[in-house]
Amino acid sequence: MGNKQTIFTPEQLDAYQDCTFFTRKEILRLFYRYRDLAPQLVPLDYSDKPDVMLPYELISSMPELKDNPFRQRIAEVFSEDGEGNMTLDDFLDMFSVLSEMAPRDLKAYYAFKIYDFNNDDYICKSDLEKTVNKLTRHELTPEEVSLVCEKVIEEADLDNDGKLSLEDFQHMILRAPDFLSFSKSDQQRNGEYIHICLT
Amino acid sequence: MSYHYNEAFENPDYHNSETLESGRRKASQMNSMFRQNPYDSSPYDSYTDHDGREQRQSYSVDIPMATMQPGLEVSQSAKRWGTPNANPYGNTHINHSFEYEPEFTYTPPSTLSTVDGPFARRSSDASEASIVQRRNRQRADSVFTTSSDFDRTDANAAAYNENKESQEEKIIRNLASMTTRERIKAIQKMPKTMKEKREIRNKVLMEKTRKSVSYSTEIHCCTQCMYKIALSYRRFRNGLSELFQSLQLWQKTLKIIGGKFGTSVLSYFVFLTWLLTFNIFSFLVNFSFVTIPQFIAAGSNNLSFTGLELLTGAGYFQQTVLYYGFYTNSTITKIENSTSYDMQLAYIFTIGIYFVICFFSLVYSMAKSFRNNFVNPQTYSGNAGKLLCIWDFNITNEKAVRLKQKNLSTQIKEALSEGKSEDLNLSLKQRMVHIAIHLAAWIFSLGTTAVCCTCVYYLSINNLKLFMKGDGTELENQAATLVLPIVVSLLNLLTPFVFSLLELLEKFQYPRNQIYVTITRNVILKMSIIGILCYYWLNIVATSATECWETLVGQDIYRLVVVDFLFCLLGSFFGEFIRRIIGTKCLKNLGVPEFDIARNVLGLIYVQTLTWIGIFFSPLLPAIQIIFFFIIFYVKKVSLMMNCQPPRKVWRASQMTTLFIFLLFFPSFTGVLSVVAITIWRLNPSEKCGPFRGLSSIFDAVSRWIDVLTNYPRSAWVVWIYHNLIESVHFFFILTVIIIIITYLYWQIIEGRKIMVRLLHEQIINEGKDKMFLLEKLRALQASTRDTPARKGASQQFSTTSSLYQPPGQLDQQRHLSMPNYLERPLEKNKSSFSAKPPYTADFPETSGFLPGDPQRQQPSTKPGVSEALALAMRARQQAEREMEDEDEEDFRS
Repeated sequence: MGNKQTIFTPEQLDAYQDCTFFTRKEILRLFYRYRDLAPQLVPLDYSDKPDVMLPYELISSMPELKDNPFRQRIAEVFSEDGEGNMTLDDFLDMFSVLSEMAPRDLKAYYAFKIYDFNNDDYICKSDLEKTVNKLTRHELTPEEVSLVCEKVIEEADLDNDGKLSLEDFQHMILRAPDFLSFSKSDQQRNGEYIHICLT
Repeated sequence: MSYHYNEAFENPDYHNSETLESGRRKASQMNSMFRQNPYDSSPYDSYTDHDGREQRQSYSVDIPMATMQPGLEVSQSAKRWGTPNANPYGNTHINHSFEYEPEFTYTPPSTLSTVDGPFARRSSDASEASIVQRRNRQRADSVFTTSSDFDRTDANAAAYNENKESQEEKIIRNLASMTTRERIKAIQKMPKTMKEKREIRNKVLMEKTRKSVSYSTEIHCCTQCMYKIALSYRRFRNGLSELFQSLQLWQKTLKIIGGKFGTSVLSYFVFLTWLLTFNIFSFLVNFSFVTIPQFIAAGSNNLSFTGLELLTGAGYFQQTVLYYGFYTNSTITKIENSTSYDMQLAYIFTIGIYFVICFFSLVYSMAKSFRNNFVNPQTYSGNAGKLLCIWDFNITNEKAVRLKQKNLSTQIKEALSEGKSEDLNLSLKQRMVHIAIHLAAWIFSLGTTAVCCTCVYYLSINNLKLFMKGDGTELENQAATLVLPIVVSLLNLLTPFVFSLLELLEKFQYPRNQIYVTITRNVILKMSIIGILCYYWLNIVATSATECWETLVGQDIYRLVVVDFLFCLLGSFFGEFIRRIIGTKCLKNLGVPEFDIARNVLGLIYVQTLTWIGIFFSPLLPAIQIIFFFIIFYVKKVSLMMNCQPPRKVWRASQMTTLFIFLLFFPSFTGVLSVVAITIWRLNPSEKCGPFRGLSSIFDAVSRWIDVLTNYPRSAWVVWIYHNLIESVHFFFILTVIIIIITYLYWQIIEGRKIMVRLLHEQIINEGKDKMFLLEKLRALQASTRDTPARKGASQQFSTTSSLYQPPGQLDQQRHLSMPNYLERPLEKNKSSFSAKPPYTADFPETSGFLPGDPQRQQPSTKPGVSEALALAMRARQQAEREMEDEDEEDFRS
């Protein structure tokens, strides 16, 4: 059963298992997917912790992210340098959070960060406008966009500061059941396909 | 060992390396940091980075605190300042120790303000570094306490750091006290990067081993052994879960469907697999406890098999384990004098227990679904939620993404126009017209349902007559029996289309209402047809003079299921395949058909209801259903992939799934339960066939068994339970009363909670107002203090003092935006006084403001008057925040 893998030491694998929602097999599978993006860069031996980082262009070419309008934000949020370049750790982290095993709170937290385009820890109007434009591929007029954003802020802003804090966002998410489309038991886990259940 | 650990833990350098921004990148060395000397900086040497920052690690050689004399510091930094091209990150690193040197950070403002520029800058780096690490790494707490980094002084930064470390220690201690499983779960849920999580995990493990070592150093070997066993057990469990995972059906297919069509269509397939597992379970139960014993006792079947039986279920199948009538009423004994197997009891208990399990699992999944999806629906109408939660991250197909985006924009446009038209009040006449149309549509749909039901009723009676008379050839008779199921399936297939035509007439304001109304009409139709059929089976077939009415009912259900399956296949052929060809070849404006989730799911519920009713009369019906569901899954999948496009309507998948589970429970399963209960308690079983022949009712089998048991003192408790709990009216009366009381209590608790939620909501708004008020005050105060030095005239002294009021980088962005002039003025002054300094851009707080190595940061304000006011305001706000957090927690808990 693949016990002969030499990519990670058993301790490393244990650590990965404890820190992500994945099983051993899935971690290995994800590693191979990571490696497939740039076989010449990623070594087959990770036991000495090489410092490899794949550029955003490679990460965003993955089928799971390729067509996602938020791909750049997702990559930025999960990468350490904030520019979308990813180490294996970041990569695993991203898949772990976006897998359906991750709890809703965690997803809400990262969704907040994804929507927070300017990284100021608030979703302000400009963030929302960007979000709407990404969601609708610029098919709305600017007036419509700003109207929608005003409505959203008005509705979800609990403390009346004109922007959405994480608390506001989480509060809203709790009331929006479609945020997580299914209870976890309904779905299967599979490391091969990213399964982003933010909706 | 323990000593080493303590040293590592209390060593500031250790913290530096893990709390600072730069430490992040090399956290892979953290493991070794733990075990080796924490002062050892050699691991950094090997570090290289792709974006040209390789030099900066060389600065991370930690300078011991004791050598950190201010004078030396100044000279060092001045030196570095003289070569501006040197690594910009250096300062951050050298300043590690400052954060942990309280005397230094609390240095009275006089010394700071008199020292020259570089020094001030450098010490601000310290605070900034801490801010940076908060901003970038500890997003969790930074988000929760964001407002508190508003104008923090050095003292605050240091205090914050200490606070944070103590928090981290607390977390680690908490984690260490948990069980392994809880700990892993907690770590997995942390919103931190992998490296942080790993660090925490390692620390916790260290803490654990330290504890265990301090407990017992002698039995070290034993603990190690235990640890190894635990570890291998965990690995074994992980492997097991992997194995189970691979057993799950169709996971890859489901992913593909989800990726191409989104969660809404996926919900249909998930529902299908869910029903399939239900059927597999019931098949296993029935097969192992009813059918296998019957095989042992079975006689030979001498009826011929022609092939038509596959459709009608009659003929050859009549003499097989498929139907109730074939089962024996005797006890089965293979070996003489050994314990025997009572078929009657096996039959009744198997089916009874199966229904009980079904009941609980349905109630469980329904309750869970409700809890998850209808948490508090009245609070939000959901515009905001709609926008921010609408994106289906499942979708990974480019065409689907485009389609979704288009749908979204039309939806938003519609919502906007809706919001405008809401204000327009409809005139009385228009409203009357609307109501009249709805009423007419309802009358029409109910009328159609009634017509369908009468049609089915007379047809079924006719069907029975035909069967009783038995004239004509065998083949004709068999074909005649197929008329009823075909008509029923046709009605089921065509009437929904008529109902969907009504939608066009009615024009609902919200598409959601339209979906709900259509579903309600379809459910009424299907359930009344099933109701009429049940009436026919229980009241007419059961009292007719047939030889074995249970088998007859079983055959009827079998035919219904088979024909419905065939119509489902035909439906997806004509409704989807032919429709696509028409839509793409002939009538272009029709377009590709959509996958109608509601209709398909209701079809599944209908078939499942039939199967549940049929389980009693035909115990192996679930097996047939399993085969059908398998085929339907693949046919629907292929048809979906080839012919359909994702539905255009708003489809709130989770709420709809909840609704469908509810429908499966309420009219469907409860109806089935009552049908089965009537069969068992009220009806006379046939006299010449089936396991209960000769009894006045099926339940008599149990009463007789109890009578037998009364003779055995050892099983007196069973008799007692039967007499006092199952047969007793008093028990059920008391039980009902207790349940009603509990329900009432819970209802009252919910009401109370609702009030509480409302109050807390108001409180949050008030706190927000407080916050705004304090911010205003603070801003006014700062504006006034800024003006005073501005009047003093320009000098070196001026530039440093004016820079005092410059935001130290942790200012709210909002403040930067609101006060651009305020920002730029001192900056320009600084530029003039320090030529080496690169120019600031006006938007620095947004982008570059929080970069780790920005060495040109100014010393934040430490002027006594201002800082006192600041501190006061800070304290007030922090307190308010803390309260707010507590409330939030309560809120969420409730």
